[in-house]
Amino acid sequence: MAGLLEVRNLKTYFYTQDGVVKAVDDVSFNVSEGETIALVGESGCGKSVSALSVLRLIQEPPGKILAGEILFGGKDLLKLSRQEMQKVRGAEIAMIFQEPLTSLNPVLTIGRQLTEAMELHLGMTEEQAKQEAIKLLESVGIPHAERRIRDYPHHFSGGMRQRVMIAMAISCAPKLIIADEPTTAVDVTVQAQLLELIRKFTAELNSSLIMITHNLGVVARYARRVYVMYAGKIVEHGTALDVFHHPAHPYTAGLLASVPRLDEPKKVRLASIAGQPPDLIAPPPGCAFTPRCIFAVPECSSGVYELVEISPGHFTTCWRAREGKIAWKTD
Amino acid sequence: MEATATQISARPHHTLWGDAYIRLRRNRLAIAGAVIIVLIIIGAVIIPYVSPYTFDKQDITAILEGPSREHWLGTDSLGRDVFTRLLYGARTSLAVGIFTQIIILLIGIPIGAVAGSLGGKTDNLLMRFVDVMYAFPDILLIILLRAILGGSIFNIFLAIGLVSWVNVARLIRGQVLSLKQRDFVTAARAMGGSSGYRIMRHLIPNSLGPIIVLVTFSIPRAIFAEAALSYIGIGVKPPTPSWGTMIRDGYDVIFAAPHLVIFPAIAIAILMLSFTFLGDGLRDALDPRLRK
Amino acid sequence: MTKYIARRILWLLLVIFVVAFITFLLMHLVPGGPWDREKQLAPQVVENLNKKYGLDQPFLVQFGKYIWGLLHGDLGVSYIYQDRGVTSIILEGLPKTATLGLVAFLLAIFIGIPFGMAAALRQNSLVDYSSVIFSTIFASIPAFVLGILLMIVFSVFLHVLPTGGWGGISYIIMPAFALAAIPAAYISRITRASMLEVIRQDYVRTARAKGLGERIVLIRHILRNALIPVLTITGPELATLISGSFIIESIFSIPGIGRLFVQGVFQRDYGLIMGSILFYAFAIAIVNLVVDILYAAVDPRIRYD
Repeated sequence: MAGLLEVRNLKTYFYTQDGVVKAVDDVSFNVSEGETIALVGESGCGKSVSALSVLRLIQEPPGKILAGEILFGGKDLLKLSRQEMQKVRGAEIAMIFQEPLTSLNPVLTIGRQLTEAMELHLGMTEEQAKQEAIKLLESVGIPHAERRIRDYPHHFSGGMRQRVMIAMAISCAPKLIIADEPTTAVDVTVQAQLLELIRKFTAELNSSLIMITHNLGVVARYARRVYVMYAGKIVEHGTALDVFHHPAHPYTAGLLASVPRLDEPKKVRLASIAGQPPDLIAPPPGCAFTPRCIFAVPECSSGVYELVEISPGHFTTCWRAREGKIAWKTD
Repeated sequence: MEATATQISARPHHTLWGDAYIRLRRNRLAIAGAVIIVLIIIGAVIIPYVSPYTFDKQDITAILEGPSREHWLGTDSLGRDVFTRLLYGARTSLAVGIFTQIIILLIGIPIGAVAGSLGGKTDNLLMRFVDVMYAFPDILLIILLRAILGGSIFNIFLAIGLVSWVNVARLIRGQVLSLKQRDFVTAARAMGGSSGYRIMRHLIPNSLGPIIVLVTFSIPRAIFAEAALSYIGIGVKPPTPSWGTMIRDGYDVIFAAPHLVIFPAIAIAILMLSFTFLGDGLRDALDPRLRK
Repeated sequence: MTKYIARRILWLLLVIFVVAFITFLLMHLVPGGPWDREKQLAPQVVENLNKKYGLDQPFLVQFGKYIWGLLHGDLGVSYIYQDRGVTSIILEGLPKTATLGLVAFLLAIFIGIPFGMAAALRQNSLVDYSSVIFSTIFASIPAFVLGILLMIVFSVFLHVLPTGGWGGISYIIMPAFALAAIPAAYISRITRASMLEVIRQDYVRTARAKGLGERIVLIRHILRNALIPVLTITGPELATLISGSFIIESIFSIPGIGRLFVQGVFQRDYGLIMGSILFYAFAIAIVNLVVDILYAAVDPRIRYD
């Protein structure tokens, strides 16, 4: 399979009054055509910023993409002009955002917000785009689409707004869809439906999908490969099977252990990872997870940690895991 | 397990007022405003004792003169010293500015408190009345009242005050309403205690800050109203000097002696600006959300 | 939507009614009545005049007649210009006042909004700082002070503009600018603040993520939302403009309603005073109504209320 998107050594920092926040610090990942990958990690680990960097939607100031390459279909997105980048956004790479309540313009009709991109990228006329928008709304499960086209965002519930966001994202048949925690702000009952919608469309369009989430259940179900991020860096990646069944980093193990499971006896307490999220302005020296890692030894606080292959296609930065010096319960 | 050493940062403990004072001090515009106001007050107070002229001393040998050593800001068409008149005019403006606030508070606070505590129909009625008043162009109403009340300078205070109390009333009403909902009031009522007393006890310290800010912004409006009234001829009666009257008188000879109009106009602008800067500074300083 | 408009119109009528009542009431509380002038009139003359103008009738009857007249567009009689009704006097001055008000308003918008926008789009630049400074200063200088200073500079010192009168652009520039300064300052301030707020919103990011060009993002997404708060203050700002116009008309000798009003006050012509105040109140109420309707047209969220 050809590599559709290749992010190499991306660095995105934010220059704030309190210091330089190294939100994304030398991150690399890739997606092939038609593939679904997941970026997981807790809040603030840099996964959203990585996604926004791909689309170059980072606010400068205070942010800045300092280094790296983002190869998409052979071109380096970071080297494109503003106009060229605008042609990529929405048309070739589309994004679904987390907050449906604030991600839609309150004074424009849903129809307008749907037709905008299609008129721009696909050269449709107003009427054509409107018809297409109606079809899109129907396909994401919004009834009475012809009437609803003229409604405003505040007439829709959160779950329905997210469906609209999905419709907007797929409207120009992009090759890559980035879904940034698309179900976090939505009712549990609706989450599964939305995810199914996303999966269905990515399959139909043969698009690639980058799913950003902290919900491992979602990852297990939909992603083929997983990247685990911590403190702005990727600490483990591999196929979902490998990462879930043989986690190779204490952080991943911790994340997995904290997911409630139906097949465990009720008496088993949920483990949570002790400690606070790392300070991205002055991260701990060496491996950033050290302060919270139950397997840490003094050597973990020094040295540079790179991703090393532990088994075919499975990479980790944890040297102790690599050397087999630690183990945890896996299934 | 590592024990992460947590630093307990030493934060100096400030009261709201102490903190506000520190923040205010850093706002240079507000300080400039305050300084100017104080200087004008001092000038206005000492002028009768310091000036060789009185505000109505006419001197037909020195008519319409420009600024000179004897007359720092020149003389007007009756030979009166402009500098002296200007500072006497400051007395008028400052008096109007400050005394109208007293009337505003005397009317606004009770009305707001009554509306807030009684609630229901009374509140509704009062607030509708307030809305209508708000819709009225205030300067026109002031003129109307002035025309009716006539006469003395006290009636000027009254006229302006009767129109400007609306914001204070709204503020106090809001404060009372939010206090009514606070837990300690419910607790007091549950124990059979009087909630009214407790509300009063907390009303004053809580409202003091916003009221100070409101008043500081309301003073320049009163000063403006007085100047406007005097300009169209229904303000203070001559020979009491007022900046508005000085502009009006100077208008007739504007080509021959523009300074007669420039100085009072600039004086009004400076005094109003100073209060506005001070008010901005106070508002930012007293905003609890900006506390560090 | 129609319910919304209907309610606003009812409110307008109520306000006018209350204003008329209060003004009428206050007029009748004036000690001495409308004939109290420098030279005392003989009691018989006063009695005759009162009868002629219906002033000897009970208060409510007079008020009722007045309201009836209002509904027919009759603003009452002038006690000084006894051969003309207040309505005709006001209509004479109306074109000038309206022109002045309109020009001042347009100036306020076309200076205030662009400045505010530029300041928000180029934060911390020279434009931003100067916009904030100017808006703070000009928001605090009353129109008539500014008018006088402008007159001094351009008429007295530079001799490029006339000090007063009416007849062409040169007669309108200074008064319009003086009137427009404060509204422009407030409009600029609020435009800037509002834009800064809107630019940070998620939906702007969504628009950019769709690949829309900066221009479209600005006009369709940012401005539409950012100008809503500006619209909200337009009503009160126009009201201030209208009610402050009379002083400016005095200073610049513009033969509009304001000047008539000032003369009326000075001469204790209560008929004229009342009529003028009612006219101003009506103008302000209409302006507020229009702004309210525009607001509903622009912001769909408040329509179904």
